[in-house]
Amino acid sequence: MALETACRPSGKRPCVMQAFRIWDVNQKTFYLRNNQLVAGYLQGPNTQLEEKIDVVPVEPQAVFLGIHGGKLCLACVKAGDEIRLQLEEVNITELSKTKEQNKRFAFIRSDSGPTTSFESAACPGWFLCTALEADQPVSLTNTPKEAVRVTKFYFQQD
Amino acid sequence: MLVLCLCMVCASASPTQPEGHKVAAENCQYRGKHFKTSFKVEGEPVVLRCPQVRYWLGASARPHVNMTWHKNDSAPVAPGKDGPRVWVQDGALWLVPAVQGDSGTYICTVRNASYCDEMSIELRVFENTEASLPVVSYPQILTFATTGSLVCPELSEFTTNKADMKIQWYKDSVLLDEDNEKFSSVRGTARLLIHNVSAADAGSYRCALAFGRRGRRYTVTRHIQLRVNRKQEETIPVIISPHQTILASLGSTLAIPCKVFLGAGTHSTTMLWWMANNTSVDSAYQDGRVREGQRLEYSENNENYIEVPLIFDPVIRKDLTTDFKCVVHNTLSFQMLHTTVKEAASFSWGIALAPLSLLVLVLGGIWMHRRYKHRTGKAYGLTALRTGHQDFQSYPSKIKEIK
Repeated sequence: MALETACRPSGKRPCVMQAFRIWDVNQKTFYLRNNQLVAGYLQGPNTQLEEKIDVVPVEPQAVFLGIHGGKLCLACVKAGDEIRLQLEEVNITELSKTKEQNKRFAFIRSDSGPTTSFESAACPGWFLCTALEADQPVSLTNTPKEAVRVTKFYFQQD
Repeated sequence: MLVLCLCMVCASASPTQPEGHKVAAENCQYRGKHFKTSFKVEGEPVVLRCPQVRYWLGASARPHVNMTWHKNDSAPVAPGKDGPRVWVQDGALWLVPAVQGDSGTYICTVRNASYCDEMSIELRVFENTEASLPVVSYPQILTFATTGSLVCPELSEFTTNKADMKIQWYKDSVLLDEDNEKFSSVRGTARLLIHNVSAADAGSYRCALAFGRRGRRYTVTRHIQLRVNRKQEETIPVIISPHQTILASLGSTLAIPCKVFLGAGTHSTTMLWWMANNTSVDSAYQDGRVREGQRLEYSENNENYIEVPLIFDPVIRKDLTTDFKCVVHNTLSFQMLHTTVKEAASFSWGIALAPLSLLVLVLGGIWMHRRYKHRTGKAYGLTALRTGHQDFQSYPSKIKEIK
Protein backbone atom coordinates (compact mmCIF):
# COMPACT_ATOMS: atom_id res chain seq x y z
CA MET A 1 0.00 0.00 0.00
CA ALA A 2 2.72 2.40 0.99
CA LEU A 3 4.29 4.19 -1.92
CA GLU A 4 7.84 4.84 -1.03
CA THR A 5 10.15 7.50 -2.35
CA ALA A 6 13.42 8.63 -0.91
CA CYS A 7 13.08 12.29 -1.67
CA ARG A 8 14.33 14.83 0.78
CA PRO A 9 14.55 18.57 0.42
CA SER A 10 17.91 19.25 1.97
CA GLY A 11 19.71 15.93 1.91
CA LYS A 12 22.96 15.23 0.16
CA ARG A 13 21.76 11.78 -0.71
CA PRO A 14 20.17 11.24 -4.11
CA CYS A 15 16.58 12.23 -4.29
CA VAL A 16 14.09 10.06 -6.08
CA MET A 17 12.30 11.95 -8.81
CA GLN A 18 8.67 11.84 -9.76
CA ALA A 19 7.35 11.69 -13.31
CA PHE A 20 4.84 14.29 -14.40
CA ARG A 21 2.93 14.65 -17.63
CA ILE A 22 3.10 18.08 -19.14
CA TRP A 23 0.94 19.56 -21.91
CA ASP A 24 0.11 23.12 -22.71
CA VAL A 25 -3.38 24.67 -22.65
CA ASN A 26 -3.50 24.07 -26.42
CA GLN A 27 -3.06 20.33 -25.76
CA LYS A 28 0.47 20.12 -27.19
CA THR A 29 2.69 17.52 -25.57
CA PHE A 30 6.50 17.47 -25.44
CA TYR A 31 8.80 15.24 -27.47
CA LEU A 32 12.33 15.22 -28.75
CA ARG A 33 13.31 16.03 -32.30
CA ASN A 34 16.98 15.89 -33.08
CA ASN A 35 17.81 16.23 -29.35
CA GLN A 36 15.66 19.31 -29.09
CA LEU A 37 12.51 19.46 -26.99
CA VAL A 38 9.53 20.40 -29.13
CA ALA A 39 5.80 20.65 -28.49
CA GLY A 40 3.11 19.37 -30.77
CA TYR A 41 0.35 16.88 -31.36
CA LEU A 42 0.87 13.13 -31.26
CA GLN A 43 -1.61 10.64 -32.63
CA GLY A 44 -2.04 6.92 -32.00
CA PRO A 45 1.29 5.05 -31.89
CA ASN A 46 3.26 8.34 -31.98
CA THR A 47 2.14 9.02 -28.40
CA GLN A 48 4.98 6.74 -27.32
CA LEU A 49 7.28 9.61 -28.23
CA GLU A 50 5.85 11.80 -25.48
CA GLU A 51 8.45 12.99 -23.01
CA LYS A 52 7.36 12.97 -19.43
CA ILE A 53 8.96 15.45 -17.12
CA ASP A 54 11.04 14.13 -14.24
CA VAL A 55 10.74 16.37 -11.24
CA VAL A 56 12.88 16.76 -8.14
CA PRO A 57 11.63 19.37 -5.71
CA VAL A 58 14.10 21.94 -4.45
CA GLU A 59 11.54 23.83 -2.42
CA PRO A 60 7.78 23.49 -2.56
CA GLN A 61 7.61 26.03 -5.36
CA ALA A 62 10.97 25.33 -6.99
CA VAL A 63 11.80 22.21 -8.95
CA PHE A 64 14.47 20.70 -11.14
CA LEU A 65 13.00 19.51 -14.44
CA GLY A 66 14.43 16.71 -16.53
CA ILE A 67 13.55 14.19 -19.18
CA HIS A 68 14.79 10.71 -20.14
CA GLY A 69 14.71 9.35 -16.62
CA GLY A 70 16.26 12.53 -15.27
CA LYS A 71 19.39 12.20 -17.39
CA LEU A 72 18.76 15.38 -19.40
CA CYS A 73 17.88 18.50 -17.45
CA LEU A 74 16.25 21.73 -18.58
CA ALA A 75 18.39 24.78 -17.92
CA CYS A 76 18.20 28.51 -18.55
CA VAL A 77 21.48 29.61 -20.09
CA LYS A 78 22.64 33.15 -20.80
CA ALA A 79 24.93 33.55 -23.79
CA GLY A 80 25.69 37.23 -24.28
CA ASP A 81 22.37 39.00 -24.62
CA GLU A 82 20.59 35.82 -25.47
CA ILE A 83 18.67 33.71 -23.00
CA ARG A 84 17.79 30.23 -24.02
CA LEU A 85 16.51 26.93 -22.81
CA GLN A 86 18.92 24.07 -23.14
CA LEU A 87 19.02 20.39 -22.31
CA GLU A 88 22.08 19.39 -20.36
CA GLU A 89 23.36 15.92 -19.66
CA VAL A 90 23.32 15.86 -15.88
CA ASN A 91 21.62 13.45 -13.55
CA ILE A 92 18.72 15.22 -11.87
CA THR A 93 19.10 13.19 -8.68
CA GLU A 94 22.70 14.26 -8.30
CA LEU A 95 22.06 17.98 -8.56
CA SER A 96 22.86 19.67 -5.28
CA LYS A 97 20.14 22.10 -4.33
CA THR A 98 22.40 24.53 -2.61
CA LYS A 99 25.03 25.08 -5.30
CA GLU A 100 24.72 28.38 -7.12
CA GLN A 101 25.82 26.87 -10.44
CA ASN A 102 22.82 24.54 -10.31
CA LYS A 103 20.39 27.43 -10.12
CA ARG A 104 20.05 27.36 -13.90
CA PHE A 105 18.24 24.02 -13.55
CA ALA A 106 15.70 25.36 -11.05
CA PHE A 107 12.24 26.54 -12.06
CA ILE A 108 9.69 28.22 -9.86
CA ARG A 109 6.29 26.75 -10.42
CA SER A 110 3.18 28.79 -9.85
CA ASP A 111 -0.29 27.36 -10.09
CA SER A 112 -3.29 29.22 -11.39
CA GLY A 113 -6.48 27.17 -11.45
CA PRO A 114 -5.75 23.91 -13.19
CA THR A 115 -2.58 25.15 -14.90
CA THR A 116 1.02 25.75 -13.91
CA SER A 117 3.70 28.16 -15.15
CA PHE A 118 7.44 27.72 -14.75
CA GLU A 119 9.74 30.68 -14.25
CA SER A 120 13.46 30.11 -14.40
CA ALA A 121 15.12 30.74 -11.04
CA ALA A 122 18.37 31.77 -12.73
CA CYS A 123 16.66 33.98 -15.33
CA PRO A 124 13.94 35.86 -13.43
CA GLY A 125 11.05 36.94 -15.64
CA TRP A 126 11.69 34.17 -18.18
CA PHE A 127 9.01 31.50 -18.44
CA LEU A 128 8.94 28.09 -20.04
CA CYS A 129 6.84 28.36 -23.18
CA THR A 130 5.68 26.75 -26.38
CA ALA A 131 4.88 28.40 -29.70
CA LEU A 132 1.31 28.54 -30.96
CA GLU A 133 2.35 26.52 -33.97
CA ALA A 134 2.93 22.80 -33.49
CA ASP A 135 6.33 21.07 -33.74
CA GLN A 136 8.24 24.15 -32.62
CA PRO A 137 10.91 24.12 -29.90
CA VAL A 138 9.99 24.50 -26.25
CA SER A 139 11.72 27.71 -25.16
CA LEU A 140 11.72 30.60 -22.70
CA THR A 141 9.91 33.92 -22.99
CA ASN A 142 10.03 37.14 -21.00
CA THR A 143 6.69 38.27 -22.38
CA PRO A 144 4.41 35.57 -20.99
CA LYS A 145 1.28 37.65 -21.57
CA GLU A 146 1.77 37.77 -25.34
CA ALA A 147 -0.65 35.61 -27.24
CA VAL A 148 1.97 34.09 -29.54
CA ARG A 149 3.51 32.17 -26.66
CA VAL A 150 1.87 29.61 -24.39
CA THR A 151 3.17 29.60 -20.83
CA LYS A 152 0.31 27.77 -19.13
CA PHE A 153 0.74 24.05 -18.77
CA TYR A 154 -1.19 21.23 -17.33
CA PHE A 155 1.28 19.50 -15.05
CA GLN A 156 0.05 16.35 -13.38
CA GLN A 157 1.68 13.45 -11.71
CA ASP A 158 1.67 10.39 -13.88
CA MET B 1 33.43 16.40 -39.57
CA LEU B 2 31.88 13.65 -41.63
CA VAL B 3 28.95 15.90 -42.38
CA LEU B 4 31.30 18.65 -43.48
CA CYS B 5 33.24 16.22 -45.73
CA LEU B 6 30.03 14.94 -47.25
CA CYS B 7 28.90 18.48 -47.91
CA MET B 8 32.20 19.32 -49.56
CA VAL B 9 31.99 16.20 -51.73
CA CYS B 10 28.42 17.14 -52.54
CA ALA B 11 29.39 20.73 -53.32
CA SER B 12 32.34 19.84 -55.55
CA ALA B 13 30.59 17.00 -57.32
CA SER B 14 27.14 18.40 -57.93
CA PRO B 15 27.89 20.72 -60.86
CA THR B 16 29.20 17.80 -62.92
CA GLN B 17 26.62 15.21 -61.84
CA PRO B 18 24.13 14.08 -64.41
CA GLU B 19 20.50 14.51 -63.48
CA GLY B 20 18.53 11.63 -61.98
CA HIS B 21 17.38 10.37 -58.65
CA LYS B 22 19.80 7.44 -58.28
CA VAL B 23 22.93 9.55 -58.65
CA ALA B 24 21.50 12.27 -56.44
CA ALA B 25 20.83 9.74 -53.70
CA GLU B 26 24.47 8.63 -53.74
CA ASN B 27 25.72 12.12 -53.13
CA CYS B 28 22.99 13.19 -50.84
CA GLN B 29 23.27 12.96 -47.12
CA TYR B 30 20.49 10.77 -45.78
CA ARG B 31 19.39 12.23 -42.47
CA GLY B 32 17.11 9.37 -41.49
CA LYS B 33 13.44 8.82 -41.02
CA HIS B 34 11.20 11.47 -39.56
CA PHE B 35 10.26 10.45 -36.03
CA LYS B 36 6.54 10.88 -36.52
CA THR B 37 4.51 8.58 -38.73
CA SER B 38 1.53 10.24 -40.35
CA PHE B 39 -1.75 8.36 -39.79
CA LYS B 40 -4.60 9.44 -42.05
CA VAL B 41 -7.92 8.17 -43.36
CA GLU B 42 -8.69 7.68 -47.02
CA GLY B 43 -10.78 10.16 -48.92
CA GLU B 44 -9.30 13.17 -47.14
CA PRO B 45 -6.64 15.64 -48.26
CA VAL B 46 -3.18 14.84 -46.88
CA VAL B 47 -0.13 17.08 -46.91
CA LEU B 48 3.36 15.81 -46.17
CA ARG B 49 5.85 18.50 -45.28
CA CYS B 50 9.49 18.01 -46.05
CA PRO B 51 10.68 16.91 -42.59
CA GLN B 52 14.17 18.40 -42.69
CA VAL B 53 12.79 21.88 -43.32
CA ARG B 54 11.50 21.86 -39.74
CA TYR B 55 14.99 21.25 -38.44
CA TRP B 56 16.17 24.41 -40.06
CA LEU B 57 13.65 26.61 -38.35
CA GLY B 58 15.55 28.80 -35.96
CA ALA B 59 18.80 27.91 -37.71
CA SER B 60 20.23 29.77 -40.68
CA ALA B 61 17.81 30.04 -43.54
CA ARG B 62 18.60 28.09 -46.66
CA PRO B 63 17.24 30.02 -49.57
CA HIS B 64 16.87 28.84 -53.14
CA VAL B 65 16.51 25.19 -52.34
CA ASN B 66 14.79 22.74 -54.60
CA MET B 67 12.60 20.19 -52.86
CA THR B 68 11.57 16.99 -54.60
CA TRP B 69 9.61 13.98 -53.42
CA HIS B 70 9.62 10.33 -54.29
CA LYS B 71 7.95 7.30 -52.81
CA ASN B 72 10.23 4.38 -51.82
CA ASP B 73 12.08 3.51 -55.02
CA SER B 74 9.62 4.95 -57.45
CA ALA B 75 10.30 7.93 -59.63
CA PRO B 76 10.06 11.46 -58.28
CA VAL B 77 6.62 12.98 -57.95
CA ALA B 78 6.41 15.58 -60.63
CA PRO B 79 3.84 18.34 -60.36
CA GLY B 80 0.69 17.03 -62.00
CA LYS B 81 2.31 13.74 -63.01
CA ASP B 82 -0.01 11.45 -61.09
CA GLY B 83 -3.07 13.09 -62.50
CA PRO B 84 -4.63 15.90 -60.56
CA ARG B 85 -4.55 13.92 -57.27
CA VAL B 86 -0.88 14.24 -56.24
CA TRP B 87 1.35 17.30 -56.52
CA VAL B 88 4.22 19.19 -54.89
CA GLN B 89 3.55 22.72 -53.79
CA ASP B 90 6.01 24.93 -51.88
CA GLY B 91 8.03 21.84 -51.13
CA ALA B 92 5.11 19.96 -49.58
CA LEU B 93 3.59 16.82 -51.06
CA TRP B 94 -0.18 17.00 -51.51
CA LEU B 95 -2.36 13.93 -51.84
CA VAL B 96 -5.89 15.12 -52.53
CA PRO B 97 -7.57 12.92 -51.64
CA ALA B 98 -5.36 10.20 -50.15
CA VAL B 99 -6.09 6.55 -50.91
CA GLN B 100 -5.00 3.47 -48.97
CA GLY B 101 -2.47 2.68 -51.69
CA ASP B 102 -0.61 5.90 -50.81
CA SER B 103 0.69 4.23 -47.64
CA GLY B 104 4.44 3.92 -47.66
CA THR B 105 7.74 5.71 -47.17
CA TYR B 106 8.18 9.08 -48.84
CA ILE B 107 11.57 10.66 -49.29
CA CYS B 108 12.08 14.39 -49.57
CA THR B 109 15.27 15.57 -51.24
CA VAL B 110 16.46 19.09 -50.63
CA ARG B 111 19.21 20.53 -52.75
CA ASN B 112 20.80 23.71 -53.94
CA ALA B 113 24.09 24.38 -55.70
CA SER B 114 26.18 23.43 -52.69
CA TYR B 115 24.01 21.21 -50.55
CA CYS B 116 21.91 18.09 -50.71
CA ASP B 117 20.12 16.06 -48.09
CA GLU B 118 17.29 13.58 -47.81
CA MET B 119 14.86 12.52 -45.19
CA SER B 120 12.04 10.02 -45.23
CA ILE B 121 8.60 10.13 -43.70
CA GLU B 122 6.14 7.32 -43.20
CA LEU B 123 2.51 7.64 -44.25
CA ARG B 124 -0.24 5.19 -43.34
CA VAL B 125 -3.66 5.68 -44.90
CA PHE B 126 -6.49 3.73 -43.31
CA GLU B 127 -10.02 2.90 -44.28
CA ASN B 128 -12.34 5.40 -42.61
CA THR B 129 -13.87 3.05 -40.02
CA GLU B 130 -14.21 2.70 -36.24
CA ALA B 131 -11.34 0.22 -36.27
CA SER B 132 -8.82 2.84 -37.40
CA LEU B 133 -9.82 5.29 -34.64
CA PRO B 134 -7.21 4.26 -32.03
CA VAL B 135 -4.45 4.87 -34.58
CA VAL B 136 -5.63 8.16 -36.02
CA SER B 137 -6.86 9.72 -32.73
CA TYR B 138 -5.04 12.40 -30.79
CA PRO B 139 -5.36 11.98 -27.03
CA GLN B 140 -6.15 15.20 -25.15
CA ILE B 141 -6.75 15.76 -21.43
CA LEU B 142 -8.80 18.28 -19.47
CA THR B 143 -9.24 18.76 -15.74
CA PHE B 144 -12.48 17.97 -13.95
CA ALA B 145 -14.62 20.97 -12.89
CA THR B 146 -12.55 23.51 -14.83
CA THR B 147 -12.90 25.15 -18.21
CA GLY B 148 -10.48 24.10 -20.93
CA SER B 149 -10.01 23.67 -24.66
CA LEU B 150 -9.87 20.84 -27.11
CA VAL B 151 -7.76 21.70 -30.13
CA CYS B 152 -8.30 20.43 -33.65
CA PRO B 153 -4.67 19.63 -34.47
CA GLU B 154 -2.48 19.84 -37.58
CA LEU B 155 -4.66 21.93 -39.84
CA SER B 156 -2.16 24.65 -40.78
CA GLU B 157 -1.91 23.59 -44.45
CA PHE B 158 -5.64 23.91 -44.87
CA THR B 159 -6.21 27.22 -43.13
CA THR B 160 -4.62 29.93 -45.21
CA ASN B 161 -7.14 32.43 -43.97
CA LYS B 162 -7.39 31.77 -40.27
CA ALA B 163 -9.97 34.44 -39.53
CA ASP B 164 -12.50 32.58 -41.68
CA MET B 165 -11.72 29.17 -40.27
CA LYS B 166 -14.90 27.38 -39.27
CA ILE B 167 -14.57 24.06 -37.59
CA GLN B 168 -17.46 21.80 -36.81
CA TRP B 169 -17.24 19.70 -33.69
CA TYR B 170 -18.88 16.36 -33.04
CA LYS B 171 -19.01 14.22 -29.96
CA ASP B 172 -19.77 10.55 -30.58
CA SER B 173 -20.83 11.56 -34.11
CA VAL B 174 -23.39 14.09 -32.86
CA LEU B 175 -22.86 17.66 -34.05
CA LEU B 176 -22.29 19.89 -31.02
CA ASP B 177 -24.29 23.00 -30.45
CA GLU B 178 -21.28 25.23 -30.07
CA ASP B 179 -22.84 28.26 -28.53
CA ASN B 180 -24.48 26.89 -25.46
CA GLU B 181 -23.32 26.93 -21.85
CA LYS B 182 -21.27 23.78 -22.27
CA PHE B 183 -19.39 24.23 -25.53
CA SER B 184 -18.20 27.25 -27.40
CA SER B 185 -15.91 27.41 -30.39
CA VAL B 186 -14.19 30.64 -31.20
CA ARG B 187 -14.34 31.45 -34.89
CA GLY B 188 -10.88 31.79 -36.35
CA THR B 189 -9.33 29.32 -33.93
CA ALA B 190 -9.13 25.55 -33.85
CA ARG B 191 -10.32 25.44 -30.25
CA LEU B 192 -13.47 24.12 -28.67
CA LEU B 193 -13.98 25.50 -25.18
CA ILE B 194 -15.61 23.09 -22.74
CA HIS B 195 -17.07 24.77 -19.69
CA ASN B 196 -17.12 23.10 -16.28
CA VAL B 197 -15.67 19.81 -17.51
CA SER B 198 -17.45 16.75 -16.11
CA ALA B 199 -16.67 13.05 -16.30
CA ALA B 200 -19.40 12.73 -18.94
CA ASP B 201 -17.42 15.00 -21.27
CA ALA B 202 -14.72 12.37 -21.71
CA GLY B 203 -14.86 10.34 -24.91
CA SER B 204 -14.55 10.56 -28.63
CA TYR B 205 -14.63 13.90 -30.45
CA ARG B 206 -14.28 14.73 -34.09
CA CYS B 207 -13.53 18.07 -35.65
CA ALA B 208 -14.10 18.78 -39.32
CA LEU B 209 -12.88 21.54 -41.57
CA ALA B 210 -14.17 22.09 -45.08
CA PHE B 211 -11.48 22.44 -47.72
CA GLY B 212 -11.96 23.31 -51.36
CA ARG B 213 -9.46 22.48 -54.07
CA ARG B 214 -9.75 22.77 -57.82
CA GLY B 215 -13.49 23.09 -57.66
CA ARG B 216 -14.01 20.12 -55.35
CA ARG B 217 -15.00 20.11 -51.69
CA TYR B 218 -13.22 17.92 -49.17
CA THR B 219 -13.44 17.49 -45.42
CA VAL B 220 -10.36 17.40 -43.22
CA THR B 221 -11.19 15.42 -40.10
CA ARG B 222 -9.26 14.96 -36.88
CA HIS B 223 -10.26 12.59 -34.11
CA ILE B 224 -9.68 13.42 -30.47
CA GLN B 225 -9.98 11.11 -27.51
CA LEU B 226 -10.65 13.23 -24.44
CA ARG B 227 -9.74 12.08 -20.97
CA VAL B 228 -10.88 13.95 -17.86
CA ASN B 229 -8.41 14.08 -14.97
CA ARG B 230 -9.01 15.14 -11.44
CA LYS B 231 -6.77 17.91 -10.22
CA GLN B 232 -4.38 16.91 -7.51
CA GLU B 233 -5.37 18.84 -4.46
CA GLU B 234 -3.20 20.85 -2.15
CA THR B 235 -4.13 20.95 1.53
CA ILE B 236 -2.63 22.48 4.66
CA PRO B 237 -0.52 19.72 6.24
CA VAL B 238 -0.87 18.87 9.92
CA ILE B 239 2.09 17.55 11.91
CA ILE B 240 0.64 14.79 14.09
CA SER B 241 3.85 13.53 15.69
CA PRO B 242 6.43 13.70 17.34
CA HIS B 243 5.60 14.56 20.96
CA GLN B 244 7.22 17.52 22.65
CA THR B 245 9.64 15.30 24.53
CA ILE B 246 11.06 11.98 23.52
CA LEU B 247 12.60 9.66 26.06
CA ALA B 248 15.79 7.79 25.26
CA SER B 249 18.71 6.22 27.04
CA LEU B 250 22.16 7.54 26.31
CA GLY B 251 24.07 5.20 24.03
CA SER B 252 20.94 3.67 22.47
CA THR B 253 19.70 4.17 18.93
CA LEU B 254 16.56 6.22 18.50
CA ALA B 255 14.22 7.05 15.63
CA ILE B 256 11.76 9.91 16.04
CA PRO B 257 9.19 9.83 13.25
CA CYS B 258 7.78 13.10 12.04
CA LYS B 259 4.36 12.22 10.72
CA VAL B 260 2.33 14.63 8.66
CA PHE B 261 -1.33 14.33 7.73
CA LEU B 262 -2.24 15.64 4.26
CA GLY B 263 -5.83 14.44 3.91
CA ALA B 264 -6.63 14.53 0.21
CA GLY B 265 -3.54 16.65 -0.46
CA THR B 266 -0.76 15.56 -2.76
CA HIS B 267 2.56 14.20 -1.55
CA SER B 268 4.52 15.69 -4.38
CA THR B 269 4.64 19.34 -3.34
CA THR B 270 4.98 18.71 0.37
CA MET B 271 8.47 18.99 1.78
CA LEU B 272 9.27 17.50 5.12
CA TRP B 273 12.61 17.77 6.90
CA TRP B 274 14.32 17.93 10.26
CA MET B 275 16.50 20.65 11.73
CA ALA B 276 18.80 20.70 14.75
CA ASN B 277 19.30 24.10 16.43
CA ASN B 278 18.19 25.81 13.20
CA THR B 279 20.66 24.01 10.95
CA SER B 280 19.91 21.22 8.55
CA VAL B 281 20.60 17.80 9.96
CA ASP B 282 23.09 17.05 7.20
CA SER B 283 25.32 19.98 7.98
CA ALA B 284 24.92 19.75 11.76
CA TYR B 285 25.99 16.11 11.85
CA GLN B 286 28.46 15.61 9.06
CA ASP B 287 29.58 12.36 10.65
CA GLY B 288 26.05 11.05 10.10
CA ARG B 289 25.47 10.14 13.73
CA VAL B 290 22.14 11.91 13.51
CA ARG B 291 20.46 11.74 10.13
CA GLU B 292 17.11 11.79 8.39
CA GLY B 293 15.69 8.39 7.51
CA GLN B 294 13.90 7.52 4.32
CA ARG B 295 10.80 9.46 3.47
CA LEU B 296 7.69 7.35 3.50
CA GLU B 297 4.58 8.36 1.59
CA TYR B 298 1.43 6.36 2.16
CA SER B 299 -2.34 6.43 2.26
CA GLU B 300 -4.70 5.13 4.91
CA ASN B 301 -8.44 5.19 4.27
CA ASN B 302 -7.85 7.44 1.25
CA GLU B 303 -6.00 9.98 3.35
CA ASN B 304 -2.39 10.76 2.64
CA TYR B 305 0.47 10.82 5.09
CA ILE B 306 4.21 11.48 4.91
CA GLU B 307 6.73 10.36 7.46
CA VAL B 308 10.41 11.21 7.80
CA PRO B 309 12.23 9.79 10.84
CA LEU B 310 15.16 11.43 12.58
CA ILE B 311 17.62 8.70 13.45
CA PHE B 312 20.16 8.89 16.30
CA ASP B 313 22.90 6.30 16.26
CA PRO B 314 23.53 6.57 19.13
CA VAL B 315 21.94 9.17 21.43
CA ILE B 316 24.61 11.17 23.30
CA ARG B 317 24.37 13.71 26.13
CA LYS B 318 24.67 16.65 23.71
CA ASP B 319 21.34 15.66 22.14
CA LEU B 320 19.55 16.41 25.41
CA THR B 321 20.28 20.10 24.98
CA THR B 322 19.61 20.32 21.25
CA ASP B 323 16.42 21.80 19.83
CA PHE B 324 15.14 19.45 17.14
CA LYS B 325 12.31 20.47 14.91
CA CYS B 326 10.32 18.89 12.17
CA VAL B 327 9.47 21.31 9.36
CA VAL B 328 6.73 20.85 6.80
CA HIS B 329 6.31 23.18 3.87
CA ASN B 330 4.02 23.15 0.88
CA THR B 331 2.56 25.82 -1.37
CA LEU B 332 -0.12 26.65 1.21
CA SER B 333 1.71 26.64 4.51
CA PHE B 334 4.91 26.44 6.51
CA GLN B 335 4.81 24.75 9.90
CA MET B 336 7.19 23.30 12.45
CA LEU B 337 7.09 21.28 15.61
CA HIS B 338 9.83 21.31 18.26
CA THR B 339 10.91 18.28 20.19
CA THR B 340 13.58 17.58 22.78
CA VAL B 341 15.22 14.35 23.78
CA LYS B 342 15.15 13.54 27.49
CA GLU B 343 17.16 10.92 29.23
CA ALA B 344 14.97 7.93 29.95
CA ALA B 345 17.03 6.78 33.00
CA SER B 346 16.18 9.80 35.17
CA PHE B 347 12.57 9.41 34.37
CA SER B 348 12.48 5.76 35.47
CA TRP B 349 13.71 6.83 38.91
CA GLY B 350 10.88 9.27 39.01
CA ILE B 351 8.44 6.52 38.13
CA ALA B 352 9.91 4.30 40.84
CA LEU B 353 9.63 7.06 43.44
CA ALA B 354 6.22 8.32 42.46
CA PRO B 355 4.08 5.69 44.32
CA LEU B 356 6.30 6.01 47.38
CA SER B 357 5.97 9.77 47.57
CA LEU B 358 2.26 9.49 46.97
CA LEU B 359 1.99 7.04 49.87
CA VAL B 360 3.93 9.38 52.15
CA LEU B 361 1.68 12.24 51.12
CA VAL B 362 -1.53 10.29 51.72
CA LEU B 363 -0.38 8.96 55.06
CA GLY B 364 0.82 12.38 56.07
CA GLY B 365 -2.46 13.84 54.98
CA ILE B 366 -4.49 11.38 57.05
CA TRP B 367 -2.33 11.98 60.09
CA MET B 368 -2.66 15.73 59.79
CA HIS B 369 -6.36 15.47 59.22
CA ARG B 370 -6.94 13.35 62.31
CA ARG B 371 -4.80 15.55 64.46
CA TYR B 372 -6.58 18.64 63.28
CA LYS B 373 -10.06 17.22 63.74
CA HIS B 374 -9.24 16.16 67.24
CA ARG B 375 -7.85 19.48 68.39
CA THR B 376 -10.09 22.06 66.68
CA GLY B 377 -13.69 20.99 66.62
CA LYS B 378 -14.88 24.65 66.37
CA ALA B 379 -12.87 25.26 63.29
CA TYR B 380 -14.45 22.20 61.66
CA GLY B 381 -17.90 23.57 62.53
CA LEU B 382 -17.05 26.87 61.01
CA THR B 383 -16.02 25.11 57.81
CA ALA B 384 -19.35 23.34 57.74
CA LEU B 385 -21.20 26.61 58.20
CA ARG B 386 -19.25 28.24 55.47
CA THR B 387 -20.32 25.47 53.19
CA GLY B 388 -23.86 26.17 54.21
CA HIS B 389 -23.40 29.82 53.33
CA GLN B 390 -23.10 28.88 49.70
CA ASP B 391 -26.62 27.51 49.81
CA PHE B 392 -27.96 30.77 51.17
CA GLN B 393 -31.42 30.53 49.64
CA SER B 394 -32.22 27.02 50.71
CA TYR B 395 -30.99 27.19 54.26
CA PRO B 396 -31.79 30.61 55.69
CA SER B 397 -31.94 29.25 59.26
CA LYS B 398 -28.25 28.37 59.17
CA ILE B 399 -27.39 31.93 58.29
CA LYS B 400 -28.99 33.03 61.45
CA GLU B 401 -26.84 30.66 63.33
CA ILE B 402 -23.74 32.26 61.92
CA LYS B 403 -24.90 35.66 63.01
